[in-house]
Amino acid sequence: MKQLLNQNPKILLISALLLGALFILPLVVTSPALMQIFILIILYAYFTSTWNFVGGFAGVLPLGHSAFIGIGAYTSTVLFQTFGISPWLGMIVGGLLAAMMGVVIGLPTLKLRGAYFALATIAVGEGVRVLVENVKQVGPLMINGPSGISIKLTENSFSAFQFDSKLPYYYIILAMLLIVLLLTYFMMNSKIGYYLAAGGEEPEAAEALGIKVSRYRLIAMAISCFLAGLGGTFYAQLMLYIYPKSILGLDLSFEIAFIALIGGRGTILGPVLGALLLRPVSELTRIYFGSMLPGLHLVIFGLILIVVMRYYPKGLVEPVKILLNKLFINRLGKQGGPDGTDSAEKAD
Amino acid sequence: MLGIIEALINGILMGSIYGLTAVGLTLIFGVMKVINFAHGSILMVGMFAAYWFVILTGWNPYFAIPVVVPLLFWFGYYMQSFIIKPIFEAEKDVREPITVIIVTTGIWYVLDNLALMIFGAEFRVAKTSVTGQVFEFYEMYFLLPKVIGAGITMVCGIYLYWFLKHSRMGKAIRATSLDREAASLMGIKQAKIYNVAFGLGSACCGMAACVLIPFYYVYPTVGVPFDIKAFIIVVLGGLGSIPGAILGGIIVGIIENVGAQFMAATWTELLLYGVFLFVLLVKPSGLFGQKHDY
Amino acid sequence: MSLLEITRVTKKFSGLIAVNEVSMNVESGQIVGVIGPNGAGKTTLFNCIAGAFPPTSGSIVFDGKEIAGKKPYEICRLGVTRTFQVVKPFASKTVLYNTMVGAFAHTKHLHEAERKALEVLEFLELGHKKDVVSKSLTLPERKKLELARALATEPKLLLLDEVMAGLRPTEVTDMLPIIRKINETGVTIVIVEHIMQAIMSLSEKIYVVNFGKKIAEGDPHDVVADVDVIKAYLGDEYVTTQH
Repeated sequence: MKQLLNQNPKILLISALLLGALFILPLVVTSPALMQIFILIILYAYFTSTWNFVGGFAGVLPLGHSAFIGIGAYTSTVLFQTFGISPWLGMIVGGLLAAMMGVVIGLPTLKLRGAYFALATIAVGEGVRVLVENVKQVGPLMINGPSGISIKLTENSFSAFQFDSKLPYYYIILAMLLIVLLLTYFMMNSKIGYYLAAGGEEPEAAEALGIKVSRYRLIAMAISCFLAGLGGTFYAQLMLYIYPKSILGLDLSFEIAFIALIGGRGTILGPVLGALLLRPVSELTRIYFGSMLPGLHLVIFGLILIVVMRYYPKGLVEPVKILLNKLFINRLGKQGGPDGTDSAEKAD
Repeated sequence: MLGIIEALINGILMGSIYGLTAVGLTLIFGVMKVINFAHGSILMVGMFAAYWFVILTGWNPYFAIPVVVPLLFWFGYYMQSFIIKPIFEAEKDVREPITVIIVTTGIWYVLDNLALMIFGAEFRVAKTSVTGQVFEFYEMYFLLPKVIGAGITMVCGIYLYWFLKHSRMGKAIRATSLDREAASLMGIKQAKIYNVAFGLGSACCGMAACVLIPFYYVYPTVGVPFDIKAFIIVVLGGLGSIPGAILGGIIVGIIENVGAQFMAATWTELLLYGVFLFVLLVKPSGLFGQKHDY
Repeated sequence: MSLLEITRVTKKFSGLIAVNEVSMNVESGQIVGVIGPNGAGKTTLFNCIAGAFPPTSGSIVFDGKEIAGKKPYEICRLGVTRTFQVVKPFASKTVLYNTMVGAFAHTKHLHEAERKALEVLEFLELGHKKDVVSKSLTLPERKKLELARALATEPKLLLLDEVMAGLRPTEVTDMLPIIRKINETGVTIVIVEHIMQAIMSLSEKIYVVNFGKKIAEGDPHDVVADVDVIKAYLGDEYVTTQH
C-alpha cells in the first residue's frame, strides 16, 4: 500500500479522478443498453487483465483463455441449475476448476518454447468447446450441448446473482476489475513479478540467478485462470444465457489477446485502454453494419492490430500516456518537470 | 474389417493433404521461429482462387495448379515482406516473437472476415469433371479426387524435401533455420530467405487448395479446421521437421477416419485434441523435434 | 576440503567427446583460471558445473554436496552463480531492476532487494547507471551488469564465462581490478578465458584444456612454460624455434 501512495501525486490525482468518474457514471448514463455496453467494456478489461498475468508478464502467449472463462461460467451455472447453489459459491468452485485446468495444461507446456504454449492453449480452448458441444448431460448435470443453458430466472436477489437493474452488475464488475488491477500492481512490485519478467525476457539467465522459471509461470497461470473463471460466472449471470459459441472457442480468446496487445501487454492499464478502444468498435459495427457486413468488426480489429503492432509494438499505453502528459499533467502543475514522465514509466 | 482398411487408406489419403499444409507451417517455423497463424487463411485464399478458376474456366481442376500455386507463393512472399518483416525486424533479438505471432492471427482475422464479407458464409462446391467419381480397389471405394490429391501432395512433399536438401536455396534455408547469425555471416540474405520460406509455405497451401477443390467445400472459415489440424500435426511431428509434418499428417488423417468408424465425427475431433495433449504431456518435442528446443 | 572438487568429468555429445575425464580442485578464496584454445571444451566444462546440462559421467562436488546433474537454479541456490559469455541482460528493464532480480535470491522484500542491489551496484561502480534501461548500455557496462546480477545472489563461487571477450585492451585493464576486488570480499572465482594475459595476472592457479583433456595445471608461470601448452596455443613448430 505504501508503494502505491508513493507514486507521483499527479498520477494519483488522475487515477482518483478517473475512478470517481467511473463510480458516478451510472448517475449520468441511465439507458440500460448503454449501461450494458459499459459493463461489457469493463468485463473485457477484466478478462484481459487476467490474461495479462500470463500473456503480459510471463513472456508466453496464451490463446485459449475462453476455456477458463467457459469453465467458470458453466460450473456456476450448472451448480445453480441442478442444486440451487448460489452462483457466488459456484464462482469460486469454477475459478478453482479453471485454475486446476490451467495448471494441468501449463505443467508440460510452460517449460517449452512459447510457440508450443500458444498452440497448446489454442487446442485446449477448441477442445473444451468441442467437448461442451458434444455433451448433453453428465449424470444429473445438464450441459445441453450446442444449444446452451438458460439460467432459471429468480427475482432481484443478491444470493442468486440476479438483478433487475444493470446497476449492481456495473458495480460488481467494476469492483472485480479494481481488485484484479490492484493484484497486478502488487504482483509487479513483488518477487514473483520480478522473477516472471526475468524469466519472460531471458529464461536462461533467470535460471542462472536461481529462478525456476517454469514454476513462476505456473503460479501466474493458476492465478490468471482462477480469475478468468470468476469472470466467466459474471458473464453468465449478466447474460443469463450461455452457449458454447458465446463464451468458448477462438473468437473470445483472440479478442482478449488482441485487446491486450493493442492496449499494451505487461502494463497495468494496457488492458483497460485496449478494451476502451476496441469494445466500442465492435459494438458500433455490430449495430450499424451487423446484418450487412457480418465480419466487419473483426476485419477492423485485425487491421488495428496489424497497424498498432507495426508502429507501437508495445501497445498504445505509452503513446497515450505521453499524450496525456502533454495535455493534462503539465497544466496541472509545472513544478514536477521531467520527473512526471519518469514516474509515469515506473508506474507500469 | 474391410471397412477399417478402407478408413485406414482414406486416412492416409486425407492425411497426406493435411501433411502438405503442415509442411508449409513447419517450414516457416523452422526458418523464422514464428508460428504462422494465418496459414489456414492462406489455404482458404488458395481454395477460393482455385474455386473461381474452375467456375470461370470450366476446365479440369488440376489445371489450376500452375496458376494458383505461383499466385500463393507470391501472396506469401509479399505478405512476409510487407506486413511481417517490419514487425519481425523490431523483434529480432527477442526470444519469443510474440508480436509477430499475434500479427499473423490478425492477418487470419482480416482474411477470413474479408472473405465472409465478399463471398458470404455459404458453403460452395465446385462441380468438376472428377468430382464424385469413385475409384474401386478390391471392393473398397475411394473418391478419385482424393486419390489423385494424395498422389500429388506426396510428390510435392518429396520434391520439397529434395529441394531443401540439395538445391542452393534449400541449403540456404536450412542454414538459416539452424543458426540465423552464422548463416547471415556466410552471406545469406536473411530477409530474402524469410520471404522465400513464407512463399514456399504458402505455395504448399496453394497446392493443397487445388487438390481439395474437387471434393471439399469452400467457405470463408474453411481454413480454421485445417489450421488447427496443422498445429496439432506440427507438434506431433516436432516443430520444424518436414518428415515429422508428413508423418504427423498421416497419423491425424488415420485417427480421424478410423475414429469415424466408431464414433460421431465431432468426437473424433475431440480425440485429436486428446492425442495432441497426450503428446504434449509425454513427448512435447514431438516425434522428430529437437530435445533442447526450449 | 576444497570448495569445488571436480573428479573425472566427461561430457559426450552424440559420440563427440567434448570434455574427457577432467579433474579440478578449487580452494576457497582462490581465483582459478581455465584456459584453452577455441573449441577446447572449456565452455562445455563450465556448463556442466553451472548445470546447463549434466555431465555424462564424473562427479562435481561443491561445498560437500554433489551438484552434477542438478538444474541451474538449484546450483545457484547452493551458492554457485555464473555469468554468460554472450551477455543476457533483461533488456527492457533498468540496471537496478536487473540487479534486483539477482538480489531476490535471499529475500522476499522489495526494499531489501533494492538495498542489496544498490549496494552491489555501488561496489561495481555502476550506481550512477541504475535507472538506465539495460539495452542502452555499452558492452563493458553490460558485462559489469552481468557481474552485478550474479554478485547480488551472494554466491560463494562465481563462475565467469569469458567476461573479457569482446572488450578492448583498455577495457580489459579496467575489468581486472574489479574481478580482484570481488575476490577480496571472499568470493571464490573460476574464470574461463582465452585471453592469456588477462588470466595470467589474475589467477593463482591455472588449468589448461585442449581437445577436451586437461593438459596442464599449476602456477601461471609454470603453465606458460609448459611444452604442451605452447603446442596447443601456437602449434608444434614454436616449441623448437622458441630460443
